[in-house]
Amino acid sequence: MTRRAVLLALCFAAIACRRAPATRAAAALPPRPSRYELQLGKEVYQQYCVGCHGDAGGGDGFNAFNLDPHPRDLGDRAFQKSKSNADLADAIRRGGAGVGLTALMPPWGHTLDARHIDAVVLYIRSLRR
Amino acid sequence: MSLQRLFAVSSVVFLAVLAFTPAKNALRPYRSIQREFRRVGAARAPSAKAAQQYAARPIAIQQIWLPDLDNRVDRCTTCHLGAADAAMAGAPEPFRMHPPTFHTPRDFARFGCTSCHAGEGLATDRADAHGTSPDSTSPILPASFMEAGCGRCHAGDSVADAPSLSRGRTLMETSNCHACHAVRGHEDFRADAPPLDTIALKTGGEWLRRWLANPKAVDANATMPNFQLGRDDLAALSHYLFSREAAPELQRAVAAAAAEPAGDKVRGKTLFAASRCISCHTVDGKGNGSAPELGKIASRATRGWLIAFIRDPHAFNPRTRMPQYSFADADVRDVVAYFEDELRDFDAPANILEPLRVNQTLAEKGATLFRSAGCFACHTEVKEGERFGPDLYGIGDRKATSLDFGRRADLQRTLPAWLAAKITAPRSFADGLKMPTFAFDDEQKRDIVTALLAIPAAPVPAAYRSAPPVQASIVPAGPIGELVSRYRCLSCHQIGGRGGDISTAPLTIEGSKVNRDWLVKYLGVPYSIRPILPERMPILKIPKDDAARLADAIEMLYVDPNVPTDPFAARPASDRDAAEGERLYTTFGCRACHIIGKSGGYYGPPLSDTHTRLKTGWVFRFLQNPQRWRADVRCPNYGMTDTDALRITAYLDTLVERKEAAQ
Repeated sequence: MTRRAVLLALCFAAIACRRAPATRAAAALPPRPSRYELQLGKEVYQQYCVGCHGDAGGGDGFNAFNLDPHPRDLGDRAFQKSKSNADLADAIRRGGAGVGLTALMPPWGHTLDARHIDAVVLYIRSLRR
Repeated sequence: MSLQRLFAVSSVVFLAVLAFTPAKNALRPYRSIQREFRRVGAARAPSAKAAQQYAARPIAIQQIWLPDLDNRVDRCTTCHLGAADAAMAGAPEPFRMHPPTFHTPRDFARFGCTSCHAGEGLATDRADAHGTSPDSTSPILPASFMEAGCGRCHAGDSVADAPSLSRGRTLMETSNCHACHAVRGHEDFRADAPPLDTIALKTGGEWLRRWLANPKAVDANATMPNFQLGRDDLAALSHYLFSREAAPELQRAVAAAAAEPAGDKVRGKTLFAASRCISCHTVDGKGNGSAPELGKIASRATRGWLIAFIRDPHAFNPRTRMPQYSFADADVRDVVAYFEDELRDFDAPANILEPLRVNQTLAEKGATLFRSAGCFACHTEVKEGERFGPDLYGIGDRKATSLDFGRRADLQRTLPAWLAAKITAPRSFADGLKMPTFAFDDEQKRDIVTALLAIPAAPVPAAYRSAPPVQASIVPAGPIGELVSRYRCLSCHQIGGRGGDISTAPLTIEGSKVNRDWLVKYLGVPYSIRPILPERMPILKIPKDDAARLADAIEMLYVDPNVPTDPFAARPASDRDAAEGERLYTTFGCRACHIIGKSGGYYGPPLSDTHTRLKTGWVFRFLQNPQRWRADVRCPNYGMTDTDALRITAYLDTLVERKEAAQ
């Protein structure tokens, strides 16, 4: 009888002491872009943006000197701080003219789908100096 | 008494076993993970009601069953509960939402998880599911090689959204991997390596020794890998190659060229630059790099060979990508005089081009080596089934335990690590291995391993296979085909699914795009349409007759019925349309990339001569959707209305090349 009780107690103890899950909710943290998204964003940036905005986003691509106003320095801290991801995506989608700036920045909403635009926004975030 | 005791003990054991089974189920890790998901979900839920739903989620195994896809059962979503849940974007693993790809989240039910990621779909325990032990039949794909998953279903060299896989597949072709290793879909592969009968006419014993010892050290553009040959083997191979005899007419051509008077090096230098040889070659690293470096060319090939080769490259190598320039005899002498004056190796010994006096014994030894080292695999025609190296069928599904790691105790026991080491230092595994060493950088290695991991043991069911549409590639036989071959148009341009990718202008619908008369002039003296590109159309000195015949053929054959001949057929354009078009040109910001007159950007081609160069139907259709004609065109699609596109077309059609306008 006591042995049975001991066995049962052991079982319960085992259930109670089950491995605590390693994960903890972290709702407050902003989503960190995955490696996949950054890679995709980089490919899109290198294809469409680099000519004017430059390799590191400094607004110094080979075509930049032809443009007045100059392409935006995307790495600038103050600029990055002043724009939300949605703002950046909107400017890419509708172009400069669409957000009240220069038409020299074309709208990409008919060329790139939302997934690519979101990825390039995440990549632009990674260019912050 | 003893029977009673036995009964008591066995009943206790029985009860214990009975209690253990549900306890074991209650202890399975996925249950605690699911309970954690309830908490994480409730904390992240956008509303109280949604939070309640998370909290009330039943604890149960989740699975995606795919009877049509090898009867897969993927239980990954038992733990990865937030894979398709937008509230779980950026949540900690394993609950994080799957990053948005072309197929996710919409195609989870169609493909499951393991068809892309590999892993053991049925398992509900982390180590089993991810296949972390070396004897796992299907370890999960590491993130850096993720695109290998795309390649399981997607055939073709270029897979959208999978740049690493696409680069890897292209690299395997340009590095001639298929010349030694059989891979399905590459049965007809033939390496681009030149035939070797003319070596003795071309170079000297010392240069050949240096080249065989390490091709990349001699020429950074070399595609030939390093065979790590010892001194004796180098000598034997050199003697063998010098013992091969070139065709008598080539011998005569080279001898006659060598006897010609010296050329004018100054004129040659101008001619060399004007001919745009660096659209394929490089000089001291500047240029495209798909053809040999020319910085030291005069110490690589004899004067006679250079002159004779430039005059008729296809006689020396019928498969060369080098076009036939219609140079005058003196032109070639001048170019080679420039080579001899400036483009030579000033540190090279005087005997670098001295012919080797063949030692027959060594030559015979070299002939054996030519077979046993595998040189023949690239330099001669090899049929499928006679490939020199082991086949690569199913390489992407090889179990780590079935791989021979040999001496490489330092390696992780995984397939990707083994493959990466194989293409980095193939001979480090054991003595006597024959695979030569390539000089790939880290990114290239990752790309190639990705392409290799995409080669499955058994192909996916036909319904899941996706191959790029076969594009018709018409190159007519007869005189036009001969011209296309003579000028090697396909070395740079694509026609349908064939041809190189050096030029940004495929010829598939060139006839619908450019005006015939412009094309005749352009073929005669091509100018730079895109000044920013280092690769420009070489000046092949195509005679006027040939240019006219080519232009006529292009006008007739390479057309697309979707491009209207006259977009203004229904309503002729008025002056107002053109004026409105000019306003739209400014509104859309086209000048950011295009030059008209004296101002504009350098990204796209200048448009000052649109009327002369382009057909109105093409301009109209291109404006409507630039990417329709070539997926990687950078000109954005403005989603403009037909009216706007017609107006801009009308404006651009008023732009005539200034010289013509003045006439």
